[in-house]
Amino acid sequence: MSSSARPRNSKGREMAKTLTLEDMAKYPFMPEAAEEVRKLGFRIDGLFEADYAPILDRAERRVIEALTTNPPEVRYDPSLYKEDVEMLSFPVAVALVTSLANEYVKRRYALAEARRAYELLKRESEEKIVEIARKFGWRIRFSGEKSGVIKFDFALNFIDYLRNASSFHDKDWKLINKFVINGEVHLSKQEVARLLQEEIRRYIEGKIDPKIKSALPEKIFERAEKIKQTYSSSFKELPTEDFSPSEAAEEAFPQCIMELYKAAQSGRHVPHVGRFALTSFLINIGMSPGLIVDLFRRSSDFNERMTRYQIEHIAGERGSGTKYTPPKCDTLQTHGLCPGMDDICRRIKHPLTYYRRKMRAVKAKRVKESKG
Amino acid sequence: MDTQAFIHERFSEFYSGNANGIEAPRSIENREFGFTLFKENMMVRHKGFINADELRDFIKRNAPSNVYYSTAYYSVPEAKMDEKGWLGSDLFFDIDADHIPAKCNKIHDSWACRKCGLRGRGPAPGKCPSCGNESFDERTWPCEICLEAARVETMNLMDILTSDLGFSFSDIKCSFSGHRGYHVQVESEEVLKLDSIARKEIVDYVTGTGIDVLFHGLESVRRDGGKLIVGPGLDEKGWRGRAARGTYEFLLAATPEDLRRLGLKKSIVDEIIANKDLMLESWAFGGPWNIVKGLGLKGWSKIVQRGVSLQSAKIDTVVTVDIHRLIRLPNTLHGKTGLLKVSFPPNEIEEFDPLKRSVAFRKGDVKIYVEEAPKFRLGDESFGPFKKQTVTLPLSAALFLLCKDAARVVD
Ligand code: SF4
Repeated sequence: MSSSARPRNSKGREMAKTLTLEDMAKYPFMPEAAEEVRKLGFRIDGLFEADYAPILDRAERRVIEALTTNPPEVRYDPSLYKEDVEMLSFPVAVALVTSLANEYVKRRYALAEARRAYELLKRESEEKIVEIARKFGWRIRFSGEKSGVIKFDFALNFIDYLRNASSFHDKDWKLINKFVINGEVHLSKQEVARLLQEEIRRYIEGKIDPKIKSALPEKIFERAEKIKQTYSSSFKELPTEDFSPSEAAEEAFPQCIMELYKAAQSGRHVPHVGRFALTSFLINIGMSPGLIVDLFRRSSDFNERMTRYQIEHIAGERGSGTKYTPPKCDTLQTHGLCPGMDDICRRIKHPLTYYRRKMRAVKAKRVKESKG
Repeated sequence: MDTQAFIHERFSEFYSGNANGIEAPRSIENREFGFTLFKENMMVRHKGFINADELRDFIKRNAPSNVYYSTAYYSVPEAKMDEKGWLGSDLFFDIDADHIPAKCNKIHDSWACRKCGLRGRGPAPGKCPSCGNESFDERTWPCEICLEAARVETMNLMDILTSDLGFSFSDIKCSFSGHRGYHVQVESEEVLKLDSIARKEIVDYVTGTGIDVLFHGLESVRRDGGKLIVGPGLDEKGWRGRAARGTYEFLLAATPEDLRRLGLKKSIVDEIIANKDLMLESWAFGGPWNIVKGLGLKGWSKIVQRGVSLQSAKIDTVVTVDIHRLIRLPNTLHGKTGLLKVSFPPNEIEEFDPLKRSVAFRKGDVKIYVEEAPKFRLGDESFGPFKKQTVTLPLSAALFLLCKDAARVVD
């Protein structure tokens, strides 16, 4: 076992302490902080009395900091703001963001608060990290487990790990590249802090709930309106995956799509995931559902009505109305649909990105040819 | 007599005597059921049952050719797909000989070109050698070698599920599918809410997809002024130990051909072959990583990668990530074989004899005309091979060939 001098505790749950006021200023989204806010008899409609001005101002700053820093991060500066202001301003900032009702601002604000928490967590003791993580229901403990020369600080239940890490794309976050024993993933402090950032981000996004909008006082909307007027240039719309080229340039297809495309053209059997990948890819590059139906016509089990239905469903013309995007490269790899990478592949993670890049190159080439 | 009608009658007889052996899946009221019926020859989905008796009655009355249920739990299983209200899904794995290369090379399987009718043995080719057409009718057989290969994969999977992912045997249900493979199902509360993305991570974990062995202990370290390659040890836990054991296993049997196929240079291949015994012995003292001159991190990565694939479990990746999947219900008949899907305790997999335990029909003989069939075993008896001949076989063997569409009933 490890020789670390750090106080260790195997039955962490019994040791659960309560958070200090300083902790609540640092991590104002914790349920304890909300409880504390209630105890102080703080009510949002009393907010516009003069006493509360510092809280309202700080709340506004939180939102502005989220919008104007890059990468977004709300500041933490104990010399500037008192602990209770720091704590009380959080729910007010959430109310401001809610009243702005803008998806981009919502995501950006949650991210900025979560990144702030990450920076603070990295510097906390192991005990404190475990305490905070457990408040989110994580099954986590100190481990001090060694694997080769590396020593890990924490062991986290693998399901709790997956809930937060499966949205990360770097290969060192893949479960298979982690040290996993007996249902636990062994992690460093920094990794745990990063995973907590993700948990916190989702948690805060969940708090910004449009349903409570109608319960907010008129004055909140006025303040929000002011922010909007000053910072509207930072209110970007979310970048969408959509783009529709005038023609589907086969030349720019990545290998994975090309193989599926040829298989479909020649009537070979294309497995379900492959069909989905191909269809959603073609729809996303602007091919019409009718043309795609024709593509599958040669398949031996072709059924026009079913095929049309499926394709229109993927195009978002039926059912839930969402247009589907094709699976990412690593999903295609999982299902054995990636025939191997070329140079462009190595720089992208999605077949659509591949297409867009290659398309640019192809177009440039054509322009050159037509001129020369 | 019409073969389909004959099979249907036998299935019907079987269920009228044995439907009570069908157990309701956990929370039956939240599961969707699906059936294929002999007459309509189509899938009936979105069925729901509130208890085992209701389900058994339905099966007795209709004697379906196949019975399926959802790994998912729904609030309203009978509703349309997007109105069912998904509550969660078991974690399910399908290991099928179709996805596993086996020593028999599937020589017992056959195909026929849909265009020109050319026939051949083994898995269907990409293109018909005669007319270039690319679609085929295929007939596959569960042979002992294929089933053995599937068993090995299932054992690999079970090892990963228990040692690494921490599930206990009591969470795991294991069954023979009634055709060419095994089903492994984790029913723990823990896994219910996992979304497809998380399940995909689990798939990658058990199949070894996306592994970078540099995260598992293979590295180059500076020591005593020189560079040294070190790697994981045989008895380590998780993928570290598995990668080491797979590498050992691979090197033990590797021919120069195998090594060259990894893209290693000829001089290195020769060096490895010459020092093989020494390398394998050196595992006792921390591994062979530094014995072969000229073999660096890159070369070792390729070798270890091969080792990883030997230790991974070759599952059907699509099935596990699909959280709305329908799977065969245990103790019901497989329409393509007339064999039962049977469950058994996971720790008995080594002794389990699928071709004995899945036999459903134990009495009676039937005269049939067999078009063509390889040699096969059911229970303790072997049958065939047959080619264009009329034979009288025990009911189970006859049904097996009839369900496979390789024979017809002779009056
Ligand atoms: S890396 Fe991605 S884009 Fe390239 S072939 Fe593979 S799946 Fe397709």
